[in-house]
Amino acid sequence: MVLDNLGSSLRSSLDKLQGKSRLDEDDVEEIIKEIQRSLLSADVEVTLVMDLSASIEERATGEEPPAGTSARDHVLRIVYEELVDLVGESTDLPLESQTILLAGLQGSGKTTSAAKMAWWFSKKGLRPAVIQTDTFRPGAYDQAEQMCERAEVSFYGDPDEDDPVRIARDGLEATEDADVHIVDTAGRHALEDDLIAEIEEIESTVDPDRSLLVLDAAIGQGAEEQAREFDDAIGIGGVVVTKLDGTAKGGGALTAVNETGSSIAFLGTGETVQDIERFEPNGFISRLLGMGDLKQLSERVERAMAETGDEEDDWEPEDIMEGSFTLKDMQKQMEAMNKMGPLDQVMDMIPGLGGGMMDELPDDAMDVTQDRMRAFDVIMDSMTDDELENPRSIGASRVRRIARGAGEDEETVQELLQQHKMMEQTIQQFQGMGEGDMQRMMKKIQNGGGGGMGGLGGGGGGLGPFG
Amino acid sequence: MFDGLKDKLGSFREDVEETAEEKAEAEAETDAPTEADESSEGTGGPSSPADSVEAGADEPVAGDADLATEGGGDPEEGGGLAADEAAAALEEDDDEESGPGRLKRAAAFATGKIIIEEEDLEDPLWNLEMALLESDVEMNVAEEILDTIRGKMIGETRAQVETTGELVEVALRDALYDVISVGQFDFDERVQDADKPVTIVFTGVNGVGKTTSIAKLSRYFEERGLDVVMANGDTYRAGANEQIREHADALATKLISHEQGGDPAAVLYDAVEYAEANDVDVVLGDTAGRLHTSDDLMAQLEKIDRVVDPDMTLFVDEAVAGQDAVKRAEQFNDAAEINGTVLTKADADSSGGAAISIAYVTGRPILFLGVGQGYDDIERFDPERLVDRLVGEE
Ligand SMILES: Nc1nc2c(ncn2[C@@H]2O[C@H](COP(=O)(O)OP(=O)(O)OP(=O)(O)O)[C@@H](O)[C@H]2O)c(=O)[nH]1
Ligand SMILES: Nc1nc2c(ncn2[C@@H]2O[C@H](COP(=O)(O)OP(=O)(O)OP(=O)(O)O)[C@@H](O)[C@H]2O)c(=O)[nH]1
Ligand SMILES: [Mg+2]
Ligand SMILES: [Mg+2]
Repeated sequence: MVLDNLGSSLRSSLDKLQGKSRLDEDDVEEIIKEIQRSLLSADVEVTLVMDLSASIEERATGEEPPAGTSARDHVLRIVYEELVDLVGESTDLPLESQTILLAGLQGSGKTTSAAKMAWWFSKKGLRPAVIQTDTFRPGAYDQAEQMCERAEVSFYGDPDEDDPVRIARDGLEATEDADVHIVDTAGRHALEDDLIAEIEEIESTVDPDRSLLVLDAAIGQGAEEQAREFDDAIGIGGVVVTKLDGTAKGGGALTAVNETGSSIAFLGTGETVQDIERFEPNGFISRLLGMGDLKQLSERVERAMAETGDEEDDWEPEDIMEGSFTLKDMQKQMEAMNKMGPLDQVMDMIPGLGGGMMDELPDDAMDVTQDRMRAFDVIMDSMTDDELENPRSIGASRVRRIARGAGEDEETVQELLQQHKMMEQTIQQFQGMGEGDMQRMMKKIQNGGGGGMGGLGGGGGGLGPFG
Repeated sequence: MFDGLKDKLGSFREDVEETAEEKAEAEAETDAPTEADESSEGTGGPSSPADSVEAGADEPVAGDADLATEGGGDPEEGGGLAADEAAAALEEDDDEESGPGRLKRAAAFATGKIIIEEEDLEDPLWNLEMALLESDVEMNVAEEILDTIRGKMIGETRAQVETTGELVEVALRDALYDVISVGQFDFDERVQDADKPVTIVFTGVNGVGKTTSIAKLSRYFEERGLDVVMANGDTYRAGANEQIREHADALATKLISHEQGGDPAAVLYDAVEYAEANDVDVVLGDTAGRLHTSDDLMAQLEKIDRVVDPDMTLFVDEAVAGQDAVKRAEQFNDAAEINGTVLTKADADSSGGAAISIAYVTGRPILFLGVGQGYDDIERFDPERLVDRLVGEE
């Protein structure tokens, strides 16, 4: 396959991250934009691009790069994983007797791919046969016959018959002793109702083990509709992407895979029968993004992750804004207090939450004195991970056990749980806030380590409950 | 074709109209100082509505005192959600320097007009870009179009909300029309008037519809009283000879072809000689499909171009093609300069962005649309009608 040696803008904006170990908001924003650009210019369908980039963004901000891994590698790995997640592995093709039906738009490469796949199966020791049911396109019979000759595989067609269904039926019979039957069809598109009806009929006659959609790598946004219609008509079990020896990235195949819930079976990389490869996610996605070997990189990051082990669970203030607020979060919150200031003050910084809303909360919602904080810390150390994650699971007997383990009385344990509950409620009110408010608050929190905030949280002593 | 884009362009117009409406409302509100949020309103004496807004922005926000805990942050980030809105309204007026001049603005305001500014267009333009991409317009081409529209609209004054739509329509229409109508010429006339035989060579990547388009055009010329000879310059692909032979037989058109594996330039050359000797008007020369990444095959195309020296080279591509359309059009144009494009399979695609991309990068007109597999399924491409249909209200 031809690798893109023109510098992609994704690569260059990722390279700007070189040396950085953390991503700030602007970095993430720029990267996400570039990821969108590069997926869009690879012909991935627009809404799919938006979905993909949203989950990439969520992970890029939510997951901390493991120690020793640059922010750049971290993001690349996430992108890679998300895309691999989407395309999955190559379509499962057992090396045994089977019937495969090919379908697709005019000129997408069905006839060529039929001969190529037959060649591929023959190299695996199976006896394939190609059946040409295209009675419409001039020269279709000769083309398939000649391609099969080059592939040295059996061929069936009937230039005098004009009913494709009949050719399919006769062809399966005539090539009975072949293991793998590959049925080629005339080109058609989603809007040609009569031709879609025709292929439905062929499909029900042939009763294939799988129907493959043959897609030109250069197909644009239309891939979605085409894939959907073919899937509705005959059920698409896999995609063959052709003409990958050009510069088209084949993002339409991603769209089609997403639309049909299938996977990619083969890649076509030239006009001769040998120019066929089994799909392999790494090469395909690396090429789609115009990047080097992403799998290798992904593995490197994974190793770094394994090495960092427990260190990995670095807590991000953002985390408390997503999902539930657990005791673990509370513990981290307590740990982080010196850096970012107490929760009630954090809340004060949020426009609209200051003043008024705080008054509506119970007085002691945020009231955790230093002594209690220390006691809480000890208690939480005596809890299991599961209890920290699911405080609601802590019943009376567990409270007893925890109290014993921590050398505190049961009452304090109850207080801790009570405190957590109140903080949780407060956090839930946060979660309803608009994006802009959130970001503003986060900026404040991030700046908290230095400058203005320091005086508030750390030094202020009497100011905050944790202070 | 182009139905998808038409829908989306309509929503761009609505977007801008909506933004303009909101803006007009916002300005009407700031117009009345008494209505503004008390906690954030400054004490500047309002001499004119526009001035009052500025004064407010320059004064420290009254609510600031409550925000001591904030540690010297931006005052606007402090006091309450209601204040926030006001702050946003102020902000809008704050960076006036970058927009139309203060005077123009004030004048526009006084006369009840509003001025379209960069930030008013940001969201609608982003939506428009997505719409263009969803219609397969190539990304860089889409951005050029957006730039044009931005340039045309920013700083424009418009008297009433009702006319924003017209303003958008004009900007959009101009931008699209400029791209899509590039280099149009009267194809029929040029062929009629040219010295005979007129040699036309068809180029393009694999499977886009070169051979079929030649068959269609063969009929097209015959219908216009011109004699045609087809030449099969595809001496490579399996079944290529049989395919074009079948077309020639069906159309009763003369065909020149050689054995598979022969020299394509020689086939076309033979056809030109045949035409000269037999008073045939038009030579339609097919070539094998090739990808622009194949140096050998692109070199072969250059050679064909040199040896045959055609009167016209038509690039064939398909309407279903996505972002890659630009790259291949450029490279084919480099190898054998094209005079125009035939866009096939328009019947399979409702977006049509490839037409825009290709016209834009080659600077050559889209001449024909292929709209099916029959011999009559070919249409002259009419940019004006198309843009009218895209942008018009119908
Ligand atoms: N470079 C390249 N060309 C290919 C590839 N696959 C197919 N082609 C070419 O694409 C063109 C169309 O291929 P066909 O196999 O005829 O396509 P089809 O889908 O059978 O076409 P219809 O039967 O007309 O719908 C031919 O020129 C093929 O040689 C590929 O992977 N790479
Ligand atoms: N629906 C539709 N199909 C078309 C159109 N033009 C061509 N086709 C079909 O597209 C397929 C490929 O057409 P060809 O004319 O063989 O394409 P080509 O560019 O000559 O292909 P190669 O010589 O292999 O590179 C055939 O099945 C045609 O019938 C069109 O305008 N609409
Ligand atoms: Mg075929
Ligand atoms: Mg051809």
